[in-house]
Amino acid sequence: MFPIRCFTCGSLIGNKWERYKELLKMKTPKEALDELNIKRYCCRRMFLTHKSVIEEFAKFHGAVG
Amino acid sequence: MKIEFIQENENFAKFILKDSSITFANSWRRAMKSYVPTMAVDYIDVYLNTSFLYDEILAHRIGLIPLKTNLEKYNPQEKCVCNGEGCPNCQVSLRLNVEGPKVVYSGDFISEDPEIVPVFEDIPIVELYKDQQLMIEAVARLGTGKEHAKFQPVSLCSYKIIPKIEIERGKCNLCKRCIEVCPRDVFGVEDEDIKVERILDCSFCLECVKACDEKAITVLETNNFLFTIEGLGQLPIRVVMKKALEVLKEKAEEMNRILEAV
Ligand SMILES: [Zn+2]
Ligand SMILES: [Zn+2]
Repeated sequence: MFPIRCFTCGSLIGNKWERYKELLKMKTPKEALDELNIKRYCCRRMFLTHKSVIEEFAKFHGAVG
Repeated sequence: MKIEFIQENENFAKFILKDSSITFANSWRRAMKSYVPTMAVDYIDVYLNTSFLYDEILAHRIGLIPLKTNLEKYNPQEKCVCNGEGCPNCQVSLRLNVEGPKVVYSGDFISEDPEIVPVFEDIPIVELYKDQQLMIEAVARLGTGKEHAKFQPVSLCSYKIIPKIEIERGKCNLCKRCIEVCPRDVFGVEDEDIKVERILDCSFCLECVKACDEKAITVLETNNFLFTIEGLGQLPIRVVMKKALEVLKEKAEEMNRILEAV
């Protein structure tokens, strides 16, 4: 799952994740981040480098047990 | 001491604190970060959790959600009539009862008190797949940033000294090296003369002083400070500023009492 706060500066980023995903459909990550007003590079890397592990887990959902 | 706002809205403020001292500016900054109480979830009771995340991870994630705070209505737990045991005067419980498949958002919490709700309703907490369920009771209380960063009302709170740049007209030969060399683009030209145009951007790098062969530039510290504050939404910025000053005043008065007793 996407982190709720930036690891480095502690600002709230969780609420911007859904909109970021929406924006990525027609924009580059840079444009999307600028539009969401995420200025510091610590917060920007949170979005750029995120990989949802829960989706990987879900592939095996129901396979065991 | 005077305050001049440059930019302000509910969750962001940029202002100049004039004729103050660095000690006051720093203690104010620290008070805003660590002594202003806000609401946050402190512990959760998990009745049922069949999601992919462990209870502890859920507790951590829920704790980080900022909650709207009413400072008048609730007491800090250590000063409450219940002696820290927990009562309706110092605690709020939020219930979460959801079933998959669905993404659980902070807006799904049902609060006991309609005033104490998550600031943003679209923070994803966990994704539930088919047949997964979550039954949680989260208990929020007042706390300060000194105890845990989740209680901080500000995510960014910093100040810097506003410099004073003096250019000696007699020595300056208009070589314009200072304009070229300044990384923050502080200088500008006006009527064939070097002018300091964007003094608030200056970062005290002193590149202009080094670049000037005529030694015409001096950069001095002043007693003015530029504050930048970014709030998380629990409390409006002005309330945070005011509350921090109240806490500082209280602490100073306590210090006075101690000194008088000695
Ligand atoms: Zn950050
Ligand atoms: Zn109580």
